[in-house]
Amino acid sequence: MAEKKIYSKLGEMLANGEFILTGELEPEKTCDLSHTIQEAKEMAPYVVAANVTDSPLGIVTINSMAASHIIQKEAGLEVIWQLTVRDVNKLGIVGMIMGGHALGLRNVLSLTGDHPNLGDMPESKPVFDLDSATLIKLVREMVDSGKINGHEIEHPPTLHIGGAANPNADPMESEILKIGRKAKAGCEFIQTQVVYDLDRTIEFLTAIKKYNVPVLLGIFPMKSYAIAKGFDTFVPGVDVPKDILAKWKNIKTEFKDDKTEQKRMYDQANYEFFKPFITELKKKGLLAGVHCMAVHYPRIFPKLMEVIKA
Amino acid sequence: MVVITTKKPVDEVINVLKDNNVRKVVLVSCGVCSALCQTGGEQGLEEWREILEKEGYEIVNGMVVDDVCDNREMAKVIRKNEADVQEADSIVTLSCGLGVQSTIQVLSKKYPEKRVFVTNNTEFMGMTERIGRFYMRCRGCGDCLLNETGGICPITTCAKSLMNGPCGGMVRGKCEVGNYERDCGWVLIYERLKELGRLDLFSKLRDPVDWSESGHQREVVWR
Repeated sequence: MAEKKIYSKLGEMLANGEFILTGELEPEKTCDLSHTIQEAKEMAPYVVAANVTDSPLGIVTINSMAASHIIQKEAGLEVIWQLTVRDVNKLGIVGMIMGGHALGLRNVLSLTGDHPNLGDMPESKPVFDLDSATLIKLVREMVDSGKINGHEIEHPPTLHIGGAANPNADPMESEILKIGRKAKAGCEFIQTQVVYDLDRTIEFLTAIKKYNVPVLLGIFPMKSYAIAKGFDTFVPGVDVPKDILAKWKNIKTEFKDDKTEQKRMYDQANYEFFKPFITELKKKGLLAGVHCMAVHYPRIFPKLMEVIKA
Repeated sequence: MVVITTKKPVDEVINVLKDNNVRKVVLVSCGVCSALCQTGGEQGLEEWREILEKEGYEIVNGMVVDDVCDNREMAKVIRKNEADVQEADSIVTLSCGLGVQSTIQVLSKKYPEKRVFVTNNTEFMGMTERIGRFYMRCRGCGDCLLNETGGICPITTCAKSLMNGPCGGMVRGKCEVGNYERDCGWVLIYERLKELGRLDLFSKLRDPVDWSESGHQREVVWR
């Protein structure tokens, strides 16, 4: 087997089998990224890289390629550029892959993207010329062969390409087989949807182990009761366990007059929930690391690092 | 197969007719698809005759025609009703978009000054469950996948027309588009192929749709 080429810190650490942490940044509808850059700087000491989202929920934000470049440059944090097939056709995406590389991006996460119908521009044409698997295949073709559609690329891109997986999927088997397709397409790493159900996650990760793609487990530490409740209500297909909601609600009420203590309690509760969860999966050899999707919650990273390093 | 149509709002049609200074009209109502959709046929013809007369238009003639979309049929209709066509300034079709364009194509050879308008919106090529329940199950993509997908079309049953679904927008077998009320097409395909013992077909990594032949004007010409 040819030696695996390394193009980024993420690629290097995954190849070395180090247990890693990645974060997530969600630029908004703005042309000024100073808040996101600040957040990136705060998480930079802890994470290997951070995802930069591409108009999540179909709600239009600043372009993720531009944001990824600026964040990487200004915050000095390696990014995982999220790229959806929702609003650019194959021709456009090929151009973006070359452009992304030219802007210094070395990791890309292939996503289908939420349908425009769900967002704040529902009248926009849904493109979906590619899908999340064929985007992976296309990037690998460009990177590995230096060609696109049989045409030489003068200076081919060098990027690592990852994909998403949803352990909560019901039915689960179709999701497992879909990961098989992504693996066949050349997927180099997987980041999962947020999980709370340990048994289900073990079942899913065990089933996809055969595809031999390193998995970063998606977790969502909840900064407050309102966020936990909102996540449970508004993120389809992800249920926050009732006992967690009750515990967070209790922290909210019990420490309502002492915000500092309340924050400490929330952080501690996250630690107590995620530590055994992650440790168990790690022990079973099902994980390459953890992907923390809690945006605007950088203070949780030192605590998470304790779990990662444990 | 039926070309599914729905009625345009009456005001929209009347405004177009006013804008074009229409006075005398021949009504051509589709007796096949639009009749089934209750946007044409005898019933539609009478509805529009009444509406237009009330608005002060002169109805020179009104007829139900089978296959308004067939140039040959429309050529015959125009020949048979030559005097009426000459007297009218416009033809209003109660048909799909094919019907109106077929009429224009045939009519414009001899009567380029005659205008043709349509009362319907064309929705899709539809499957009929019963009258009033029509579903898009084929988009005529030109490269049928049904032999590989258990007879369920991903182009029409997946809201994103994905070739490798389901996507992350599927929750408990339902699609994110339409508030999780409709089935996810790729879960239907998965279930069907599982039933048939052909999950190998589901596992296949499919190439993107090739738009080189279908991304522009299409025609089938074999003689």
